[in-house]
Amino acid sequence: MTEEELPELHFASGLPGFPDVHRFVLVRLGDEASPFSVLRSLEEGADVEFVVTHPGLFFPDYEPEIDDDTAGRLELESADDALLLVIVTVADPVADSTANLLGPIVVNRHTRTAAQAVLGSSGYATREALVPTT
Amino acid sequence: MLVLTRRANQSIMIGADVVVTVLEVRGDQVRIGIDAPRSISVHREEVFRELEAANREAASTASGALEGLTALRPPPDRRQKDR
Repeated sequence: MTEEELPELHFASGLPGFPDVHRFVLVRLGDEASPFSVLRSLEEGADVEFVVTHPGLFFPDYEPEIDDDTAGRLELESADDALLLVIVTVADPVADSTANLLGPIVVNRHTRTAAQAVLGSSGYATREALVPTT
Repeated sequence: MLVLTRRANQSIMIGADVVVTVLEVRGDQVRIGIDAPRSISVHREEVFRELEAANREAASTASGALEGLTALRPPPDRRQKDR
């Protein structure tokens, strides 16, 4: 499957730091067992990409409360409408990589509209270790 | 910067549909209420700035660093943890 055949995600407000980047495509990183994907900009002249993962895989207790405004803007009616992703900051070594749990990406599965939520007073951080430090 | 003096329960309008109201002033803290349409997101500035910085850092990852990442898997103890 080529990138062009993959469904496009639309971020009406862009993302914090990238307000003018609206169109993205989600591409799996690696083989089918890989928990990671790349969220890649389709905008001309904006060469932006993020590594993302499903937070439930690494953080099973993560249950962010999406604010009403974000839910309203994405026209989410139930939790089942939403696909949740978190942005990974890849480190060297990769075992030190972190995930941004403060700002999860919320996608409406049906309309493919998306936004980065801001969990203001949640206590979650932008750099939570993917793999617990021993 | 426009500077206005307001008292508790007085408001400022920004455009036609954003209303910022001073609810309470106590010492060096001010409680503020904001009424805005859903299309306008409202955040504490420091939280938003932190997210901007995190996004910029995440977006600047060299693609070479991605090679080892696909081998990274969730630790089994986390995956099977009881809720």
